[in-house]
Amino acid sequence: MRRFLLARLAQAGLVALVVGTLSFALMRALPGDAAMRIAAGRYGPDAMTGQAADKVRLELGLDRPWPAQFLDWLETLARLDLGHSLVTGAPVIEELKVQLGASLWLAAAALLISLAIGPVAGVLAGLRPTGWADRLGLAASVSLRAVPPFVLGLVLILVFAIWLGWLPPAGFGTARDLVLPALTLALGLAAVSSRVTRDAVAAVARAPHFAFARHKGLPEAVVVRRHGLRNAAIPVVSYLGLQAIYLVEGVVVVESLFAYPGIGHALVHAIVERDIPMVQGTALAMGLIFVAVTACVDAASAWLDPRLRSAR
Amino acid sequence: MNVATDMRDLSIAGLSVSGGAGPIVRDVTLSVRPGQPLTLLGESGSGKSLVAQAVMGSLPPGLTASGHIRLAGTDLLAAPAAVRRKGWGRTISLLPQEPWLALDPTMRIAGQVAEVHRFVHGRSAQESRLRAEENLAEVGLDRAGTLYPFQMSGGMCQRAAIAITHASDSALLIADEPTKGLDAALRDGVVERLKQEIAAGRLVFTITHDVAVAGALGGMIGVMLDGRLVDYGPAEEVLSAPTHPYTKALLAADPATWQRRVPTQAGAPVVTGRALAKAYGGRSLFEGLDIEVSAGEIVAVVGPSGCGKTTLGNILLGLAPAGSGTVERQGGVPPVRFQKLYQDPPAAFAPHQTIRRALADLVGLHGLSWGKAEALIARLRLGEHLLDRRPGEISGGELQRFALARGLLLDPVFLFADEATSRLDPVSQKEVVELLLEIVRDTGLAVLLVTHDGALADKIADRAVLLDRPAAWVSRRACDALTTGLAPCF
Repeated sequence: MRRFLLARLAQAGLVALVVGTLSFALMRALPGDAAMRIAAGRYGPDAMTGQAADKVRLELGLDRPWPAQFLDWLETLARLDLGHSLVTGAPVIEELKVQLGASLWLAAAALLISLAIGPVAGVLAGLRPTGWADRLGLAASVSLRAVPPFVLGLVLILVFAIWLGWLPPAGFGTARDLVLPALTLALGLAAVSSRVTRDAVAAVARAPHFAFARHKGLPEAVVVRRHGLRNAAIPVVSYLGLQAIYLVEGVVVVESLFAYPGIGHALVHAIVERDIPMVQGTALAMGLIFVAVTACVDAASAWLDPRLRSAR
Repeated sequence: MNVATDMRDLSIAGLSVSGGAGPIVRDVTLSVRPGQPLTLLGESGSGKSLVAQAVMGSLPPGLTASGHIRLAGTDLLAAPAAVRRKGWGRTISLLPQEPWLALDPTMRIAGQVAEVHRFVHGRSAQESRLRAEENLAEVGLDRAGTLYPFQMSGGMCQRAAIAITHASDSALLIADEPTKGLDAALRDGVVERLKQEIAAGRLVFTITHDVAVAGALGGMIGVMLDGRLVDYGPAEEVLSAPTHPYTKALLAADPATWQRRVPTQAGAPVVTGRALAKAYGGRSLFEGLDIEVSAGEIVAVVGPSGCGKTTLGNILLGLAPAGSGTVERQGGVPPVRFQKLYQDPPAAFAPHQTIRRALADLVGLHGLSWGKAEALIARLRLGEHLLDRRPGEISGGELQRFALARGLLLDPVFLFADEATSRLDPVSQKEVVELLLEIVRDTGLAVLLVTHDGALADKIADRAVLLDRPAAWVSRRACDALTTGLAPCF
């Protein structure tokens, strides 16, 4: 357990270093004058003058050589100080709290909805491969997955917000605002997780130990519950972990679409405004979520599968 | 263990099993009585498993059984599938083949026994737990209840499966290839357990291709070939005075009855290992081992499963590193002329590729001529028509001969045959071994024969290396600690 946690901590440190370095390098590589863009972001497009830009450059030390700026950043990062947004001047950590919090709500809602659809549909399909549930599931999965999330989102907005008028088309604050963006993400997730579950269940149903559980005389429901689900869950849990990560990345598009003030939204804006501390802060938060999710997935897999516990 | 007191015979009369293409099993008549077990012998595909599945009521979809199967006075075939399934774990129980695969890998053994009491016999959770402990104690596993299957040896898994059938407390026990994949020591242990079941008054119906198992169990023996029962009678009679030619071939195929091969004049050393040592998972497999295989020589490595036989062969081939020591291969010979013949032929071929394609690819890769492949195929007595089939569509013996042809295409000087015949039925094993001996005699091939079959090694090898270590995935210490001493640790 101790080794497990230490290894994960080292992983988190490495992620911080890589994210810090990469995002700094990427931002430097972008064309255009950073000081000019920041001035525009701060004082409005009218202030996009050489004077305002020079002021910003001097104030933020953007005129110093880049290695000095980079070392500065790494040092503050080591102190767990994410710095201040170049644009709003507010501490990055405060901005992250608000935006990451909002994103996590969205991601959690999407994951919960997809869990209620994907694995359930997958188990029904996998127990009777090539049965009607399997075929219907395959058709639904392919059609949902073939549609990019922003098209799916627009279709949902059209149907539920504009034609039916049940839900708001965009916004943030209430649970009602959460439904459409969460459903957009959830349908895409369930489309794939249902097939992964289906294959896992079908593989377990073909396994000799599943047949033996039947031959022991156990009722079918007991066979599935005691010997099917746990074994089938092993690959599915790993896959759901990947999906959770995809979610945090995927929210970038969907949040912008629904004007939802989450971390993806923040990242897009920070990139547009060349707000280096914000970009690095958000990327770092996402990277650390990645480490945390994989750690949780590995722990859950070890709980499900005793063979993994002994291997460690 | 209590066995139901109302015991009657199992009688099978005029049983046929048919699929879409017509009958696969025809007109089989057999019976099992308390104290008089029945063992069905035959190669894979002979229909013996279908007979067992027809009795169990677990025939694959698309196959139907006709005739009569009576157990305790009721005709099983007349009952609908749902009713027959109710009998599983109550009147009929199955001892599965390869129990290490048949046990749920994610559940502790005690739970897998207790659930039979709980969900089949409807007992309380606590009573089920207590009874499961008793069942495990009956097979000497009273301290193994908290283990998972992957923590137990093959023999312990086999005993756990027997404990599960004890929990069922059924009148009829069907043992489906109970010794498949077990080495000789484990095999004898399983046979002992089955004899205890017979002595306890259970009806025992065993399917096997191992003549020795059939002989040890006694009772009645049936021999199946191509879906028909070609020989049937008391064990001593069938084994001592077989009437059908196939039964005779089957008995003659037992390596114990073979003539000992006359050692040939050995040539120069092809592979030499000096002071080899290897440890696996903190356990030493062998230390200070010297081995030399010369041209035209067959050197056997014999020992129970898990003792490091395959590892030794892989070290000599250079597929695995030695822990310490040196391996010397004949100088100037390219590595591809050191070949390996694998244990499980279907696993050694790409499943969706025809045999012709597999061989043609190899011929193309090494710039050989197809004529050479054709000559080898003829030499190994394989028909041209088999070339256009996929690995799953020909018998294990034929596939292993193709694997041999594939290896011989590269003109090997050394062949590591890793349990190359242990998954074949005895008749096919004999064919493959005879062909291999011919090749050795004609080409001076050096062979390292890894086997758990002491009789086979004794009859064909010039020399044998005995690797004698406990067969276990757990260490010997753990294995001893888990058994009470009543039963041998197998």
